[in-house]
Amino acid sequence: MSETRTALYLTAKCTLRHWKTSWASYLLLLLIVAVGVGAFNGIRQASRAASANFGLFNEAVSGRSDFLIEAPSGRIPEASLAGLAYLNGQPDWHLLPVVEGSIAQVDPSGEPIRQLRLVGLDLIGLGNLPTFNEQGLSFAEEDSKWYQRIGRGSGVWLSHTLARQAGLARGDSLEFVAGGRRASVAIAGVLGESDQDMPDDLLVGDLPAVQVMLQREGFVDRVEVLLTARTSRTNRALLAQIEQRIADGMPPDLRLRPAAERAEERASMTEAFRLNLLILSLIAILVGAYLILQALDAAVVRRRQETATLRSLGVGARVLFLICLSEAFLIGLIGSVAGIGVGYLLANGAVHLLADTVNTLYFATSADAIRLTSDDWLLGLSLGVAFSLLAGLLPARDAMETPPAQILSRGDWSPGFVWLRRPTIGLALLAVGLLCLLIPPPTMGGGSKMAIGGFLAAGAWILGAALLSGQSLVWLAKLLRPLAQGPIWRVALSRLGDGSSRHRLAVAGLVVAVGMVTGMLQMVGSFRGTIEQWFDVRFQADLYVSERGGSGAGSILGIDPAIMARLEATPEVEFADTLYLQTVAAPIGGTQLAGIDFEAWQTRIGQIWLKPPGSLQPVAGAQPALISEAFGRRFDVLHGGRVTVETPTGPRTISPIGVFSDYGNEFGTAAIDAPTWREWTGSERPINTSLHLADGTITNEVRDRLRLEFPGLDVRNAQELRTLALGIFDQTFQVTSALNGIGLTVALIGLMLGLLAIFEESARSWQTLGYLGFPRRALVLTAGIEGAGIALAAWLSGTILGLILGWLLIAVINVQSFGWTLLWQVPFTAFLGFGAALTLVGFLCGIVSGSWWFRNR
Amino acid sequence: MTDKNTILEVNDLRKAYGPVEVLHGVNLRIAAGERVALTGPSGSGKSTLLNCLCGIETIDSGSITMNGEPLQHIGKRGLERVRREWIGYVFQAFHLLPTLTALENIELPGQLIAMPIKDRKARAKDLLHAVGLSHRADHRPDALSGGERQRVALARAVMHQPRLILADEPTGSLDSASGARVLELLERLSREQNIALVLVTHDLNSTRICERTVSMHDGRITG
Repeated sequence: MSETRTALYLTAKCTLRHWKTSWASYLLLLLIVAVGVGAFNGIRQASRAASANFGLFNEAVSGRSDFLIEAPSGRIPEASLAGLAYLNGQPDWHLLPVVEGSIAQVDPSGEPIRQLRLVGLDLIGLGNLPTFNEQGLSFAEEDSKWYQRIGRGSGVWLSHTLARQAGLARGDSLEFVAGGRRASVAIAGVLGESDQDMPDDLLVGDLPAVQVMLQREGFVDRVEVLLTARTSRTNRALLAQIEQRIADGMPPDLRLRPAAERAEERASMTEAFRLNLLILSLIAILVGAYLILQALDAAVVRRRQETATLRSLGVGARVLFLICLSEAFLIGLIGSVAGIGVGYLLANGAVHLLADTVNTLYFATSADAIRLTSDDWLLGLSLGVAFSLLAGLLPARDAMETPPAQILSRGDWSPGFVWLRRPTIGLALLAVGLLCLLIPPPTMGGGSKMAIGGFLAAGAWILGAALLSGQSLVWLAKLLRPLAQGPIWRVALSRLGDGSSRHRLAVAGLVVAVGMVTGMLQMVGSFRGTIEQWFDVRFQADLYVSERGGSGAGSILGIDPAIMARLEATPEVEFADTLYLQTVAAPIGGTQLAGIDFEAWQTRIGQIWLKPPGSLQPVAGAQPALISEAFGRRFDVLHGGRVTVETPTGPRTISPIGVFSDYGNEFGTAAIDAPTWREWTGSERPINTSLHLADGTITNEVRDRLRLEFPGLDVRNAQELRTLALGIFDQTFQVTSALNGIGLTVALIGLMLGLLAIFEESARSWQTLGYLGFPRRALVLTAGIEGAGIALAAWLSGTILGLILGWLLIAVINVQSFGWTLLWQVPFTAFLGFGAALTLVGFLCGIVSGSWWFRNR
Repeated sequence: MTDKNTILEVNDLRKAYGPVEVLHGVNLRIAAGERVALTGPSGSGKSTLLNCLCGIETIDSGSITMNGEPLQHIGKRGLERVRREWIGYVFQAFHLLPTLTALENIELPGQLIAMPIKDRKARAKDLLHAVGLSHRADHRPDALSGGERQRVALARAVMHQPRLILADEPTGSLDSASGARVLELLERLSREQNIALVLVTHDLNSTRICERTVSMHDGRITG
């Protein structure tokens, strides 16, 4: 108790007063911790908000439902609704049929402005829902005009946010394209209050009107069941009983499930994506922890006279340990509190970017408002404080071991982290990393696999390489020493060659950042290079046609078959490679079932074949299919076999005869003959087509003509499609690049703080050099060379680490997580440029730190 | 056998740094309240002996008994307690804590032995007055002259009423006038509070405040 009291007293009287004296550097440190915690928390909040509509879009209007009645095909014919007649008139629940889909708002010239989610509900029935009444929404200014307004039929309602963003008001007309057709609809009103939190891309209309707009006459997507007594929701026994009552009479072509299950299913689809992002966001917090270690180490060096004095006065080693940890705790606590604010700002910046990515890669979603929950506070504070305390342990131990006799008599003695000179721990970590690769990837809820072993190996190798990297500094200095002529170079290289533990620590911290950045550079570069190569082979048609305004997995509505028939009849079109696509349930999660021109794909359509068509023998009785690599890995049929999928017409078995490369999604695609696809799915709507024009046709002339003729379709030539796709790719990796940038910046600031600790430790040597006639300029230059040397050694070691991480990301983590093989491309020129830039920045860090230090001494 | 009046007894003390032995069997006995000057040329082992006496340097063999307690058997935490309770240390380079004011620096040893706040503050003020620096109570060390810093260090060394003051060249960094004043204070505080003093010095003139002078040469007591 007495020790704690003494530690607290000394923290208040010494540590905090040191903070006051060096407020600028501590402010910087707190900001860096804030950025580290903020990056983690921000990404977490943003990905949560970006996936806010894991649930159902109509929830904002009708309230949360309890059960869903769906058809395996995803669409319920209205004729099937007659089979649900036994559910009508029951006092315990309400039924709500829903139809929903994406449309694109267009400007007068037909250019898409924004993608909107259109939900059709039975608006008259909606008025009876207790959940709707709880929402407090109104479809008219006066209740008495409620039915009058709905009676107008085809209008849509929108949220205040959307009305503001789109500049729309009641009575205006909204121009849109859906399923390849252009149309317009009147705005019937604005929903809710101006401060009511509703999705900014939501349109609500009466069910029949929306069916027409989405060209889905005669179909609904689902029927939602909402319990009358809201309190029943917490009564599990009652819920189970009600579920049983509903299920008892359910027609065989429909299925019932709890509404929460769908949200879970959606969440699990993006689980791997979100987890990967979260792990990446830890880079900043890890580098931030390294910076705390550097700063506290610097503080220990700077205050060792004080520490030695305290020791001589009888202050115990444990008290010194506690003082150091208290400082780490305070840095973590204050930095984390600020970090939660930073995270909130970052989340607001990143949420739309992430929502776009989820929309592109997974399913329709819209960004929700960023909310700061108690979990965010708790996690942010815990992470920041835990990492700070961990980072503070080593300097605290160093402070504890400060031998007062040497410090008080000789002044420049410090043990440093002597274990950094021993390679044992580093080598052991490398071996542990190898063993981690043996861990099989567990399957996540949505069927994606998580490369846990790969990530653990990456962590072990990063730490191991960081510990071993200090030796590269010694080797580099020895290599350069014969070339050193002047005294400045000799002094600088002799100091680097000595390889003190603090020099090694500075190299180690930078190696972590360099390794991660170069590893990610390779992964992103290889991915992009592979996609470009894939494009060259795969897209050899002249024109590509898809729905206008549709920008990804979340917006597929399908092109009207009549329009497609007209398009294919265009005189210049020699051959149309039309693609049909539907998500179907598979043994693990969902997958894509594609309908294609099977014969053309095997003979004339360019593909990168991992296994050419015919190289695998189909299983008797199964439908032959060409499968993507991701599909093959996911269902373990890369070398042949069979997979049964749930189609709208029942379970169907397919068997691969060939495997092609595809980088569209991690859920995999199985492509079968188009007529069979239509038979299985009962759908006639293709999602896109690639047009091969007759020889001698001027492509862009046909493109321009088709654009005029089909205003609801998006018509692009190969170059335009390539630009669009690479744009989406780059957008997907924007958050990754930003996180890398944050990590590297933090590491460079760490280098400066590390250099300051090194200079402080060598105060006597600098003093001696000064006595020997070294001008201050020469001393600063020596500091610059030291900084450059550390950066160069970190670049050399970090690049080797990065190459290994690049291989790990490409050959292990990507294959396990996403099921695709990338061509490993090492951007050597970029690496050399990065090395030169890093060395220069290291030199400047040395100059700045040196100038600052000498001025303050 | 230690005399009841003996505050410090050193027997056959040996200390080496690697292969170099710097103390070759040192024997020394100091009585309570006795003031002893330890002289000798540079490298003779005076400072090492002083560091061994207060336990901030470990010993290789021999024994040090303070106030009847053998220091080699009390462990690190025991040595910390000895330094907190029984020893006051005065350094050539003062070693005041830079973030504390003059008064707070003096108070610190009292804080470490959990002296009641009221008593601690009163004694610190008395000592500050005794060394003639009442007007500098709220000044930090960087605002004090060398002589003033050493006077604060002297007050700090006696704050917790130790049995022994170890002073390592306390006037080495001071001009002659300031040095004389510090010596005079050291002698007065030691005498008035009956605290034994070991004064390490090169300066034979400084030995005048001591009752006995011990010479060291090549790690041995020579006289």
